[in-house]
Amino acid sequence: MREEFPTHPHPHRRLAAILAADIAGYSQLMGRDEEGTLRRLKHVRREIVDPTLEEHYGRLVKNTGDGFLAMFDSPLEAVRCAIVIQQSVAARNTGLPRDYWLQYRIGVNLGDVIVEPDDVFGDGVNIAARLEALATPGGVYISGGVYEQIKNKLVCGYQPLGDEKLKNITDPVRIYRVLPDPASLTGAVKRPQSHWISAGLAAGLALIVAGLYSNGYWSAGGSTKPVSAERSPERAPVPLASATNQPAQPQQGEIAGGNNTNAAKPLTPPADPAQGVAASNSQVAVLAPSPPAVRTIQTASGFRDCETCPEMIRIPGGSFRMGSDEDPSEQPIRTVSIVPFAIGQSPISVAEWNRCAAAKGCQFPLDGSDTAPARNLSWLDARQYADWLSQVTGKPYRLPSEAEWEYAARAGSSTRFWWGREVEPGKANCRDCGANQDPKGPMPVGSFARNAFGGADFGGGVAQWVADCWLANYRDAPSDGSPRTAENCRENVLRGGSWRSSAASVRPASRTHYDTGVRYPAHGFRIARSL
Amino acid sequence: MGRSAGNVLAALAVLSFLSAAVQAQTAQAPKPPSPQRAPAPDARLYIIYPWDGAQIRGEFWVRFGLRNMGVTQAGSSAPNAGHHHLLVDVTDEIDPEEPIPTDNRHLHFGAGQTEARLELPPGKHTLQLLLGDPEHRPFKPMLISKKVTITVLPAAPARTSKKATGQGG
Repeated sequence: MREEFPTHPHPHRRLAAILAADIAGYSQLMGRDEEGTLRRLKHVRREIVDPTLEEHYGRLVKNTGDGFLAMFDSPLEAVRCAIVIQQSVAARNTGLPRDYWLQYRIGVNLGDVIVEPDDVFGDGVNIAARLEALATPGGVYISGGVYEQIKNKLVCGYQPLGDEKLKNITDPVRIYRVLPDPASLTGAVKRPQSHWISAGLAAGLALIVAGLYSNGYWSAGGSTKPVSAERSPERAPVPLASATNQPAQPQQGEIAGGNNTNAAKPLTPPADPAQGVAASNSQVAVLAPSPPAVRTIQTASGFRDCETCPEMIRIPGGSFRMGSDEDPSEQPIRTVSIVPFAIGQSPISVAEWNRCAAAKGCQFPLDGSDTAPARNLSWLDARQYADWLSQVTGKPYRLPSEAEWEYAARAGSSTRFWWGREVEPGKANCRDCGANQDPKGPMPVGSFARNAFGGADFGGGVAQWVADCWLANYRDAPSDGSPRTAENCRENVLRGGSWRSSAASVRPASRTHYDTGVRYPAHGFRIARSL
Repeated sequence: MGRSAGNVLAALAVLSFLSAAVQAQTAQAPKPPSPQRAPAPDARLYIIYPWDGAQIRGEFWVRFGLRNMGVTQAGSSAPNAGHHHLLVDVTDEIDPEEPIPTDNRHLHFGAGQTEARLELPPGKHTLQLLLGDPEHRPFKPMLISKKVTITVLPAAPARTSKKATGQGG
């Protein structure tokens, strides 16, 4: 790793799905029956948690007293694992008196984390822990990032609980409750009329509370105290949502208050049965959660996830022949399938980069014309931008994989260049690419022709970092469009060539590489996002 | 070009919003190109291995030698230090004022590496080291090694490939 370079320190980071779990009401359980609780907890760990983690390719990072922290490569596997654990534990509870139930609360988040041999760190972990603290006993709460990854893959109900400001986390986090049975969400709507009335009252109250909340009144403990009892298992966990239960729940005063969502644990045994995941307070779902912090705007070519976000184009799924016979690094040529995704219409511009810098999401602002492509950036810088944009928008932004980049650049073509077999003026920004070039620097973004997908600057300008770790060729490379990554990757792949390159380097198949943490004036990047 | 007027307006709105924040930070901005540096007067850059005229089969390590100066990461402005670039079969003149190109013939060692594993096709090849400043430009005057010529004997196929030290062969 690179601690030896104080100018650009970077411990090993990676994107991971983090699962945080703890036992609801653990201290009460221990108070009631210390040895028995411990024994049953050990059994649950050995017979449910450990094998389920293994089955879903999870890694137990550490046990935390009554809970544990696990890490997954796939958010989908992480959520599946969480559901299986909850259902298995619930099954085990049946037949036991309520006071002896062990119930996990589980939070799953997708985030960039710092990995050390026996622990993980970073906001990505903290958010998972916060989600866990909010979760109902027996429930699974996931962040918006996880939801985006799994919503079309895992058939569950997902109850949106709005954007929540979590303790010590800068940006609000969108929260969803996982309802293992998709019908439970719609089923919740068909509730007795009294609930509808209470829901209606609640909606009004929610609006008022929302107003207070957005005006900063929320922290004014006293008056809002009943509403802040979000940790109560019977009540929805998010302040806005929990307000909806108030008229029907006059006894909420019993919940010892405080807004400290972090430390509080339920003081009463869960009143909700093990199926709490799917039951009760689902009328919350019929109320609109707080409006999203960002709003996707359709543009002529694609969309933006906020007014000032980079313009993205939608890339249809399909398969293509990746590589070429022109250089050994581009071989063996193979067929790769790509699922639909979105990619930046152009590389990130100086103005776009500086927005991240101004928000302190990126380390430094860049000089130069606003419309110039951002450059002199390392792969780590590019990743930092992607992380920031994900946080701001709640959307899963990332660097494209090498395969995705080449697929988007080719836009259906299989020729040497995306526009044909020969160099043509007006198509790319390189040393010998024809007219409209500046030997001193790249042309502004979008100065050259767009390809069939509507993408600009897929040849020259700035060479663009992609997610993949550098490997000298495509031997054993995946065919599903995923990036090739490695622990302790030292060099990452760059695509597209730069304004200084020869025409051969602006071929869509051309690849090059550079030290992960080192900046170079001709290197920039383009962002991607899963759909 | 090709962007709609709406986008331009949106961009302008962002920019005006941004400019204040960005201006506030320009103190930290990467400085405009600084003047090129002079190497230590007695500095010497040389290739420890392979030696001139060596015959090699398969992949091999190139080891970089630098005397009377230090090696540092690209971007670091430590005095009297630079980072290595290995020129493989480069025949074009090096522009003394521009950042050293990056391609399969101009290998950068901006992390401060001092050796490299190479795999070259059979035949004669030349290797030459060039020291770069924090901004990847040559020193002024240029600090460059003697060019060594080696012969790679038939064995391994493949291409010029830089592999960072310690990454395994």
